[in-house]
Amino acid sequence: MRGGARVPSVAGMTTTHRLAVITGASRGLGLALARGLAADGYHIVADARDGGALRAALAGLPLVTAIPGDVADPAHRAELARAAGELGGADLLVNNAGTLGTSPLPALADYPVDELRAAFEVNVLAPIALTQLLLPGLRARGGAVLNVTSDAAVEAYAGWGGYGAAKAALEQASNVLAAEENVVRVWWADPGDMRTAMHQDAFPGEDISDRPLPSAVVPALRRLIAERLPSGRYRAADLLPASPPGAAPASVTVLTGQA
Amino acid sequence: MLTDFALPPELAAHEPAEARGLPRDGVRMLVSRRRTGQIGHHAFGELPDLLLPGDLLVVNTSATVPAAVRIGGALTVHFSSPRPDGAWLIELRERRGGATVPFGGGEEGQELGLPGGAVLRLEHRVTARLWRARLSTAVLPYLLRHGAPIRYSYVPRDWPLESYQTVFGTAPGSAEMPSASRPFTPDLVTRLVARGVTIAPLTLHTGVSSLEGDEEPYPEPYDVPPATARLVNLTRAAGGRVIAAGTTVVRALETAAANGGGVTASAGWTSLVVTPGSGLRAVDGLLTGLHEPRSSHLLMLAAFAGDELLDRCYAAASAGRYLWHEFGDVHLLLP
Repeated sequence: MRGGARVPSVAGMTTTHRLAVITGASRGLGLALARGLAADGYHIVADARDGGALRAALAGLPLVTAIPGDVADPAHRAELARAAGELGGADLLVNNAGTLGTSPLPALADYPVDELRAAFEVNVLAPIALTQLLLPGLRARGGAVLNVTSDAAVEAYAGWGGYGAAKAALEQASNVLAAEENVVRVWWADPGDMRTAMHQDAFPGEDISDRPLPSAVVPALRRLIAERLPSGRYRAADLLPASPPGAAPASVTVLTGQA
Repeated sequence: MLTDFALPPELAAHEPAEARGLPRDGVRMLVSRRRTGQIGHHAFGELPDLLLPGDLLVVNTSATVPAAVRIGGALTVHFSSPRPDGAWLIELRERRGGATVPFGGGEEGQELGLPGGAVLRLEHRVTARLWRARLSTAVLPYLLRHGAPIRYSYVPRDWPLESYQTVFGTAPGSAEMPSASRPFTPDLVTRLVARGVTIAPLTLHTGVSSLEGDEEPYPEPYDVPPATARLVNLTRAAGGRVIAAGTTVVRALETAAANGGGVTASAGWTSLVVTPGSGLRAVDGLLTGLHEPRSSHLLMLAAFAGDELLDRCYAAASAGRYLWHEFGDVHLLLP
């Protein structure tokens, strides 16, 4: 993503580790991306609600700071920002933590409004608030924000009204942020269907073993970050190489589909 | 001595080429070649024939924002550059006879009322001209609504923002137009592509003019993406030439090459000033406008042409009645 320009002047240029803040990193895409970025040399500041699971998941990564907590909690967000600041500031913020909301997925006609509000807290307001806290540092380093979204934000899947509406709000917030920030890259990326706990919650009792593992999506997101592609909306499937070295073709072809 | 030449007022471009009855790519182009010391007179439209297949033209995608805001007391604020913490460098100007001149006033902590109910708080003076200041609302959206393009006294009237955009400008952020790219048209770009010239983008948002000789440079945000860094290195390895469209492109590429070993993709803030002493690590040629006496840009040009040839270029441009400034003619400095 960048060549180590942590300070304004060329004379003072240093090459220290880049820092990525990733929310929801105890499992699924967040964990897979944390591993991928750690392999790219990033120091990872990660959170998840379950501290035990988070520490167990991230054990073995070379440079990692685990901060358990709920992204919807302002004090926890401040703690993340403080940790990033103490490490010299973030180069990348990945707003990955999200909630499906009520499971099984209710129709909007029956959606409990309090649960809908809670889903918007986690999926929309928390990423915006965390972005606000980290923006000064991201600006200083020409950094980037990656918001994880879903095709449920743009397609009308019955039952996905709560999650989809929240992700649509996150997408438009990303879109406007990209127009307002002229130094920071802003991407919102749809990873496609994946074999994750969230996806299983959306289809309780169904066999989702045909969906690709989140690790199959990571090369797409690493490319987005490493190439510093222009701000905008991306589908992970579009970013994967035509014939990825060492990857089974099947893992690519199943990346399209709903949610 | 190039730092001392006097620029006659009639050699300033007072209006866009289109207003002079020319297409954008109809401006003139002085061409100098360092290897032979030759100077030639061309039309900008000849650029595809002057470059070679395999050359790489690097362009700045920064678009111009309407960075001048008129306020009461006959003052105008020029918003120059953002600071990472959300403050901005700004210049206060006094409106006089249809133009503006530098305004020496202002006090630390002073709050200025701007149109639309915004308040600009002066924090402290950074240079003789520039203040560090903070606006009560987000600056870019505010400028899009209330600002006008920055204009100096040699341009007697306002022109719409479109007159200050280049064909490559996609990322709003420059207080003044990256003007070397102004003559490019879609047709000319097509002819460059057909010629076999490759074009690669970078971004550097430039602040208000131009780092004058007696002023410390202030940092500007830049971004050299990996794909462009690769193309620069590939082009030079293959014996092609890297031609910068504008001094901003030189600044960004030389910053990204400052660690040696070619250009490394990087983004951040740069205060680099390119001079004959600093040399050039990444760029072989430069397309640029004609610059003011005593500006630090002339030092950068000397890094490409050497003092003797650059002196002759400016003498030739002056004798040939070339037009200076952002709406004027251009100068192609080839190796």
